[in-house]
Amino acid sequence: MVVLREGMCPGLDAGLLRDLRAADVKTVEDLVSSDTEELARKCSVSYKALLAIRRVLLAQHTAFPVSGADLYEELLSSTAILSTGNPSLDKLLDSGLYTGEITELSGGPGSGKSQVCFGVAVHISYQLKQSVVYIDTTGGLTAGRLLEMLQTETSNTEEQMAALQRIQIFRLFDVYSLLDCLYGLRSGGLQQASVGGGSVKAVIVDSVSAVISPLLGGKHNEGMSLMIQVAGVLKTMAKDFNVAALVTNHVTRSGSGEVQPGLGASWSHIPRTRILLERAEPSAAVSPSGLRSATLIKSSRQPCHIKAEFDLRWWSRSEEESSRKRKLDETDS
Amino acid sequence: MSESGAQLFARLEGRRCLKDIEPHLFPEDGGPDHGEVVELCGMEGTGKTELLYHLLCRCVLPEAAGGLEVDVVFVDTDYSLDMLRLVSILDSRLNTALSSSFSAGSEEAALRSCLSRLLVVHCSSSSQLLLTLHFLETSLSSRPSLALLLIDSISAFYWLDRCGGGASVTKQEEKLSKCAELLGRLLRDYRVTVFASCHAIRRSSSGPSSSSDSYLCRSWQRLVSHRLLCSRQDPAVDREQRRRQVFTVRCTSSSSCRVKAFRSSSFYVTDGGVEFIGTSSSQDSEQSQ
Repeated sequence: MVVLREGMCPGLDAGLLRDLRAADVKTVEDLVSSDTEELARKCSVSYKALLAIRRVLLAQHTAFPVSGADLYEELLSSTAILSTGNPSLDKLLDSGLYTGEITELSGGPGSGKSQVCFGVAVHISYQLKQSVVYIDTTGGLTAGRLLEMLQTETSNTEEQMAALQRIQIFRLFDVYSLLDCLYGLRSGGLQQASVGGGSVKAVIVDSVSAVISPLLGGKHNEGMSLMIQVAGVLKTMAKDFNVAALVTNHVTRSGSGEVQPGLGASWSHIPRTRILLERAEPSAAVSPSGLRSATLIKSSRQPCHIKAEFDLRWWSRSEEESSRKRKLDETDS
Repeated sequence: MSESGAQLFARLEGRRCLKDIEPHLFPEDGGPDHGEVVELCGMEGTGKTELLYHLLCRCVLPEAAGGLEVDVVFVDTDYSLDMLRLVSILDSRLNTALSSSFSAGSEEAALRSCLSRLLVVHCSSSSQLLLTLHFLETSLSSRPSLALLLIDSISAFYWLDRCGGGASVTKQEEKLSKCAELLGRLLRDYRVTVFASCHAIRRSSSGPSSSSDSYLCRSWQRLVSHRLLCSRQDPAVDREQRRRQVFTVRCTSSSSCRVKAFRSSSFYVTDGGVEFIGTSSSQDSEQSQ
């Protein structure tokens, strides 16, 4: 809804604006939808002048159509696939997180969503040398854990500090500050967050359901509208700035008792790829296992319901352990 | 509004009729005619966007590859158009159809000519959708080969409009009603066909055979002549077909000049896009499941 203002386009002066308002035309949409001949008569302005104004306003505010060939060229040159650092998770995601899309990770408490997000942030910042924006809404992020993960990658403190500096953290606990933060990032904040030579390649929101689910339900629709606004700004940011958006979600039980991601049916259309994390079938081991099983529940590139198992401790393994684990994986598969 | 001779010619010349766009989906001789709207509704992951890609490919491919060679406009309201997936479907269809005499260079040229028949528009609010439809009127009048308008999805701004309209239902539905009325006028004047996907907002607990009511405004519901209800078969039920997910589509065609007709069909999604399997049709009676 764009309100008509003086000087918006050549020819739209105060007098014409007054006449238009008197004829009940207050916004650009009203002007464009109304019959130009009749309006020109009512406001005693020439038909040609009004037609010219209409054309300029339409060109200014409309979305411009792009040819499919140009769009494909642009996408080929700008889309990147970011590895998550864990080969089994990468295989599930068809080689990693794609920029320009929202990927969702859902799971119950303790299923490892935040650990996966830490691992992805550390991998992108240290291995790929790109910046990451991490929006923490649960208070579960500690720099100590990130440092622990980095210390297994390298023992050089300067490199560790450089990698930590590339992860920019925002702590917010309600949906309005989340929207503020995202709008700020979209209108210039992302360029400012690019430090150390690498541009921002990933925006991680952990978790998006923590700030939205308290608003859902009941008679008011504001919660749903805010959820769709958050989705909209994340998508436009991912597309316009070529970043990969990773969000986490909680789970609920459906009518038939099976586990499904939260936030309802309206949110389910938003992410392009969705993964459900669960604890893997525990062996009789008493000690807490880091094994998790990830199921792909929505993807436009892979058949659904394929599972992969991985260990949460992958991102903090040491070098000898990793080669031993790799041998183990090869004998297992 | 007066129009030039060229515009008049473009309007009346008669765009390609898309009745034969996908005979598997629609009842006997009941494909979408000029100026008709087909709505695809269903839950998440039921194959609506894949079906739209399938129809898109069918339209832009050259006749030698089984296509209709018409121009298509894709209105993307929720950034769900995956160009890489679309290109891989086009590629595999071009390869199977024209495998013999093509070198790498001419394959790329064929792909490029297909993509040049596609116009993509992104909209981020229903006001922008309204303005874009006005703007598209000029594209419609200048491109007589444009026969298909795909909207994915028409329900993307439902919650934003509902909250923005306050307590009055008319105000909430006002923007989408205006879009629907404008679309009706464009359909009457330019005789294109529209396919629009509509996301379901409530999980239906009674299984895929129940028909979900449309929750969008009355002006939009009046425009729709065919409804395709998409659903996904529970993978646990079909033990032999566990490898491949089966999707079902149930078509309800109701327009003023025809009796109500139904048709059910199922398909897989492969690397080369949608592949239909057995179908069944009925006239005037409910298909019992």
